[in-house]
Formats: sequence, structure tokens, C-alpha cells
Amino acid sequence: MYQPIEAIIEDVKQETSSIKTFILRPKSNFSFQTGQFIELTVPGLGEAPFTPSSDPAIKDRLDVTIMNVGTVTSALHGMGKGLKVGIRGPFGKGYPLDNFKGKDVLIVGGGVGLAPLRSLLYSLFSDINKFNKVVLRYGARTPDDIVYKELIPEWAKKDKVDIATTVDMGNPSWTGNVGLVTTILKEAPVDLNNAAVIVCGPPIMMKFVTLKLIELGFKPADIYLSMEKNMSCGLGKCGHCRIGKYHACKDGPVFSYEQLKDIYDIWD
Amino acid sequence: METYFLEDNNIIEFYARVAKEYELYVPTRAPSSLKVKCEHSFILPAQDYLLKKFKDIDKKEIVFNGYRPIEPARSFFTRPKEEICEYFGRNENPPAEKPAAICGLKNCDLFSLKIQDFIFLGGDEPDRFYKARRENALIIAGDCPAFKESCFCRAFDIDPFVTEGFDFNLAPITGGYIIDVASDKARKLMPSLKSLLSSASSSQIGARELNRESVVKHLDEHLSYHKIPKKETLQKIVLGGYNSQIWTDEMRTCVECGGCIFMCDTCHCFLLYDEPNSKRKRVWDGCLYKNFMKVAGGANPLRMRYMRLRNRYLKKFDFFISNIGFQACCGCGRCIDVCPGRIDIRRILRRLHEEHKGAQNVPAH
Ligand code: SF4
Ligand code: SF4
Ligand code: FES
Repeated sequence: MYQPIEAIIEDVKQETSSIKTFILRPKSNFSFQTGQFIELTVPGLGEAPFTPSSDPAIKDRLDVTIMNVGTVTSALHGMGKGLKVGIRGPFGKGYPLDNFKGKDVLIVGGGVGLAPLRSLLYSLFSDINKFNKVVLRYGARTPDDIVYKELIPEWAKKDKVDIATTVDMGNPSWTGNVGLVTTILKEAPVDLNNAAVIVCGPPIMMKFVTLKLIELGFKPADIYLSMEKNMSCGLGKCGHCRIGKYHACKDGPVFSYEQLKDIYDIWD
Repeated sequence: METYFLEDNNIIEFYARVAKEYELYVPTRAPSSLKVKCEHSFILPAQDYLLKKFKDIDKKEIVFNGYRPIEPARSFFTRPKEEICEYFGRNENPPAEKPAAICGLKNCDLFSLKIQDFIFLGGDEPDRFYKARRENALIIAGDCPAFKESCFCRAFDIDPFVTEGFDFNLAPITGGYIIDVASDKARKLMPSLKSLLSSASSSQIGARELNRESVVKHLDEHLSYHKIPKKETLQKIVLGGYNSQIWTDEMRTCVECGGCIFMCDTCHCFLLYDEPNSKRKRVWDGCLYKNFMKVAGGANPLRMRYMRLRNRYLKKFDFFISNIGFQACCGCGRCIDVCPGRIDIRRILRRLHEEHKGAQNVPAH
């Protein structure tokens, strides 16, 4: 339960200056549900939690999109093709796809938070008839910070899919929207009364997006948040990930805002 | 449950026979570094007890401990530091160990094991190390004929004598011990132990009851000075006191030594860490340490000391009450004894309660 299985880095893709996607081939098949997380081990250094960004239908490969922010991630960023890492999991409760059926699915992502949402998008696309529509609103700091630059236009071409991106700060070649992602939520073509909203991004972005959604009239029970905590064991034992009466690793990492709204300081 | 009498001069032989089957730990006297005097003029024992391996010690060292030993009961089931596995080689299996027989645990310890069980045996997957040790262990509990200044089990309606969760129980009376045989594991040892035991007379059992009543009475009197809130109010006062100044106030003297989390009978948190040779270790960890909840991106919900103290109380009195219906505090008082900053859980709870009463105008109990 605490021992990782071996996986080989098959390829590394540079997404932005500080974000890379690692394509991993586990030694044995590895299944996960979209939104569940794994613990990724850099041998001899330690583990850190990540949510895979690949299509859960693929069992022999796993993509993890990682920003260089800490000890484990910076070691990973120094690793290339052919090297060995460890994976453990999957852990926790992922996105409750069944609750999204027949609804307008609004997905709000910020920065590297689009990683778990990519796996969610793949799951939705593969069963698109079950959902009314999929609306993605994505914000990044600058145009260079946008991840999956060549995938987003592909997704936008799909039937029943509506995508808009925005950046906090533009640059001379950026012709798109400039402003926080909260500013492009109001126009999102979503029926308030028949919606599921999924939010993933840095804590501060999740906070303001959630407050904005509530202000727009979305119900707390229809808003789903991926909570970033300092997960370690993944099994509800090590205690590092408590939020109120929950262990995020076991009861989350995906929570409805209804579950969290009465807990103090959830955005800390 | 069967009840017998064990004479004083047979107890070492009793231990010796148990030790044939088990790695037996027995109570010994330990010099106490801290002599906490009762502020309410109760004359209370100040000595401490340590559990040591029976096979390693001079048998004269063995005593019957009047109250819980220094080490928390959980230290027999998860080690403060141990190797869990080596990747990608050696599997994660508990080391082959002679099962432990632990003599000298008290009712507060057994209450705490319910919390440890919930964490380590519950959930989607039980912890293999904990499970193996816990299932194989023999618990020889004991009544508390005395209590320490820091003992406050009765504040939460936990009695200083056991009622469940043990294999044998020893209760000292004149001339020996009343011994309860409470489980199949204990019964299995009976063929070898029987010759040491005689039947307990009703007056002997009566004597045990009198002892129990008298220690309860004495302890309740001691606790009446501390005004510790009832267990039914704990969750309310801790949540209600979320923004209280008390957390900051109380943490002024904390030196972040981690003593309280490591001595705690109910704390269960740990850290997995890897050595350069790919050995994975587990060490005890806890929320009084600054980086306990820090995420890689830098966010730290426990960045201030008051947040850490508050987190500890939220875990014990909100998380656990919500999840298992009772608080993760057994009143053993180990955190009080260990704290160099004299941070006292009894005082913090009392202050939270008083503040809550003041705010809500709730009558006292
Ligand atoms: S807290 Fe109670 S049960 Fe524990 S040692 Fe003290 S008197 Fe005994
Ligand atoms: S034992 Fe006292 S000083 Fe040490 S960490 Fe706990 S509260 Fe702080
Ligand atoms: S990651 Fe260990 S309890 Fe959640």
C-alpha cells in the first residue's frame, strides 16, 4: 500500500517554461477514474501527489502534467526519457460523472489546473451524448502559460463543445480575451438550473471562481472542486490532508462546494 | 469473562509463563524529570513508569504501575520510525516479530486504541504493519489504584479501570491481584497459568469494587477544580472558538518540540520519506510542526502557531467526533507532562468553554 510500482518515462513534453507533461508507461496496467490522484515517486527522493491528465480509458499509459514548484517536481523536471519513476494509487474519489449526465457541464480551469480537467474532458468526450454540452472556460497568467496549446483548438472543433480562454496579461501577439477567468463566466452559455460546474486551479482562483459562481446563482451542490492538499499516504491514515471532517485523499480530492462551504479557511 | 485471584508472590512466575509465548513488556519505575505539583493541594504521586522487555531486566525492577506508563500505547503498533519497504525490490511486509504482550496499559490507553484502530484498520485498506501487531498482541491491562496530577480520563466519562478491549486485567487488592480472563487469546494461555491462580472470593471482588469507587471519587474531586468541559460540548466549543484569541495566547510558550504529538495516545499522523537508497520509511509526524500541511506550491494552512494548535483541537474534537462519534482524547495527560511550555489541554478546553458560555450565555453544567 505504501510501495510504488515501477513506471518508465516514455516521453516528456514541454508545455510552458515551467510545466511539462510526462508520459509514463507503468510496468503493469494501471486504471484510474478521472479526478482521482496518484502518488508519484522520484526514486531515492520521495513522493508527491498528482492527478493524471490522460484519458482514463488508456490503461497502459499515463500522462502527468507537472509544474516545477517543489523538491519532487524540480527533480522530475530534470528527468528524461527512459528513466524510472514509481507510482502508487489511484486514490480518492474522482469526478462523479453520473451526476453530470443530462446537464450543461461547465469546466473552469486555471493554469496547470487544466491538467486534471483534461482527463475529465476526455471522459466527457467519449460519452458526449450523455451530456447536454461541455463548456470550458480557461484562464492562464500569460499566453505562454497556457497548457495544451495545440489540443485546445482541436477540442473546440468538437460537437457540443464551447471553449473560451483568457489571460491575465496579454502580449503583442495575443488577440484573445484579457482578464481573470471570473470575467468570462457570466457569458458562459450554461443553464443555471441544470448545470454541473467543475473548478480546478490555484486556491486563490478557485476561491474567486466559486464566489463568482454563487453570485451568478449556481447552487453549492452543483459546484465541484478539486482540493489541493499535502497528500502523502493517500489512504486516510497519515493525517496530512484534513479539511474539516474529511481527509481529502479519501473523501476527495473532488468535493462539492456543498460539502465544504461551512468549513473555515478551505482556500488556505 | 472468568475472574481469579493471583497471589503477590506468583506474579513474576505469571509473567514468566506469558513470556514463553510472547515478547512481554512489563512496567518498571522511571525517575520523573517533571514534578508537577497539584495547584489544589492534592497529594499526588509524581513518579513515572516505563514498559520494558521482561526478558531484558532484573525482575526486581518490575512494579505494578498505579497509572499509565510514559509511552503511548500506540508505540507498540506503529513505531516512531520504521522501514516500510524498498522499491522496487523487497515487498512491504511487516517484519516477523514475536507477538507482544503489553502489561501496564490503562483504560485511557484502551480508549485511544479505538481511535488508532479506526485509522489503521479502517478505511479502504488496513495498514499491514499495524494490523499484524495489533491482532497478535496480548493486552494485560490494569486498574488504576492511583492517578497522576495530569490524569483527566473521568472528565470525559472514561473510568480508571477497564471494561472492554483487553485480554487480561489485573486489579491490585490486599495480598495479590484480581485477574480477569476476557478473551480467547487469554484463555489459550490458561492451561499453563491455571496452577498459579485460585478462585476469587466475593469479598476479594468486593474489595476491588471498593478500590475502584474510591479512586473514582478522589479523581472526580481533583478534576472538579479543573472545570474541564463535558465531552458533549467539546465539538461546539472548539468550532465556536475558531476565531478565539485563546489559540494565540496559549501558543506563546510553545517551542515547537513536538513532544505533545509524539506522546499523545490518539495522534496517528505520520510522514513517509525515502532514503537515497530507495528505502521508504515511516516516521511519526504531527500538526504542531510548521510544514505539516504545506503544499509544494507554498500554500501553508498551518503557517502560524495558533493555526497549528487549533488544527490539533479541530482534529481531536471535530474531525473524530464527526467521524466516529467520540473525541480523540482519552485524558491520559501525557501532553501536559511533556510540554516544556506548560501548555495544558485542560486549561485550553476550560477557557474555550468559558468564552463560549460568555458568548452564548449557556448555563454551566
Ligand atoms: S488518565 Fe485515568 S485511566 Fe489513564 S492512567 Fe490516569 S487515572 Fe488511569
Ligand atoms: S509539547 Fe508544548 S512546546 Fe512542545 S510542541 Fe507541544 S505545545 Fe509546543
Ligand atoms: S494523504 Fe494521508 S490521510 Fe490523506
